[in-house]
Amino acid sequence: MKEWLAVFRRGLSIDNPLTVLMIGLCATLAVSSKFEGAFFMGLAVIFVLTMSVTIIAILKNYIPEKVRIPIFIVVIASFVTIVDLTMHAFLPGIYTFLGVWIPLIVVNCIILGRAEAFAYHNRVSLVIADGLGMGLGFAIVIMVLAIIRELVGSGEIVFLGSTLISFPEWYRGPGIVLLFPGAFLIFGFMVAGVTWINRHIERRQVQVSPSCMLEEEGV
Amino acid sequence: MVRIESTPLRMIVAVLVTCAVAASSLAFTYELTRERIEEQERIAREKALQEVVVDAVSFHELDSEIVEAADEAAGETPVLAVFEAEMGSGSSAIGILVTPRGYGGPMQMVVGLDRDGKVLGVSIITHDETPGLGTKVVSEEWFLEQFSGWDGSDIDSAAKQFDAISGATKSSAGVRKGVIAAGHAYEAVIAEMEGGS
Repeated sequence: MKEWLAVFRRGLSIDNPLTVLMIGLCATLAVSSKFEGAFFMGLAVIFVLTMSVTIIAILKNYIPEKVRIPIFIVVIASFVTIVDLTMHAFLPGIYTFLGVWIPLIVVNCIILGRAEAFAYHNRVSLVIADGLGMGLGFAIVIMVLAIIRELVGSGEIVFLGSTLISFPEWYRGPGIVLLFPGAFLIFGFMVAGVTWINRHIERRQVQVSPSCMLEEEGV
Repeated sequence: MVRIESTPLRMIVAVLVTCAVAASSLAFTYELTRERIEEQERIAREKALQEVVVDAVSFHELDSEIVEAADEAAGETPVLAVFEAEMGSGSSAIGILVTPRGYGGPMQMVVGLDRDGKVLGVSIITHDETPGLGTKVVSEEWFLEQFSGWDGSDIDSAAKQFDAISGATKSSAGVRKGVIAAGHAYEAVIAEMEGGS
């Protein structure tokens, strides 16, 4: 269980796919202009990532090494298509907003990367921990980025038609925050913050004892 | 950990089995969601029609023969469907669903025309234009409004006074192409409807 938690937490903190490994950024910057879009993008990635790596981990001894990448892609693409059809049927508004970024989850490096680097070499229970941790790490970062961008840029956060938070009427947000340059700027500050926190964690681990490995903070 | 050797036969079997399982699970999901998706698309279509023909009470889709004639008249831009809108006053209008190519691919849009051939309005249902640039054809209100009042029976000369959005030249041209195609299609629709009745 200790090992399971340790693997799970890596995705949230010191191996976070976005702020540390910096993979899968393209979709992140594109869909984080709206909180609801980011929320469902996060859910979609958690689902696709966890399901794909679990199936790959279960089947890993039957997948010949030379054709592993095509098989990974087929597995990932199937789950992405399931998400795509389901969203189209039940969340048409979100589906239109996310647009091409849903099918593009197939080639998101987080998922293929975890399949190749972790799922193909580890046992199923740890792979599930890694998938959930990495997926949640992705979802949290993209949602925080989206909350900042939507709130600062448009002055309110709308979730499925209802306004969650809004600034007073007179507030006019800087439009750049909603465009790509704004996404890069805010993301840069987030990376700086996370790097600073992670450095503190590392220093504390060295000072205290190796058994405190599990005391890491979330993002 | 023992991993199976990559012999040609095993590779073929592994890929085939994976693809077969994937395909059947997708077919299953498709069947489950198909009705809902069609329903959502119908709602989106109806909403777009209501936007371009504001006074309409009800819509009904016209026969495939009329659509075929309209498609032929429209040239290279495909016409997917033609709707007749019933107004409360007893008059009617035509809504034409066309898919011209924009910058990012086909755009689905509805062009509404009254029985004098005047363009009532244009509404874009789906598109794949670049966010922030091509999407201005939807977000800049004046752009779609400029088409209202164009003479559908002489669309080519009406199309000469057209303002594109800078930075979205190809997307603007795509919408314009769609309206022109709808103008040509309108002629064919009217001819077909009068011939039929």
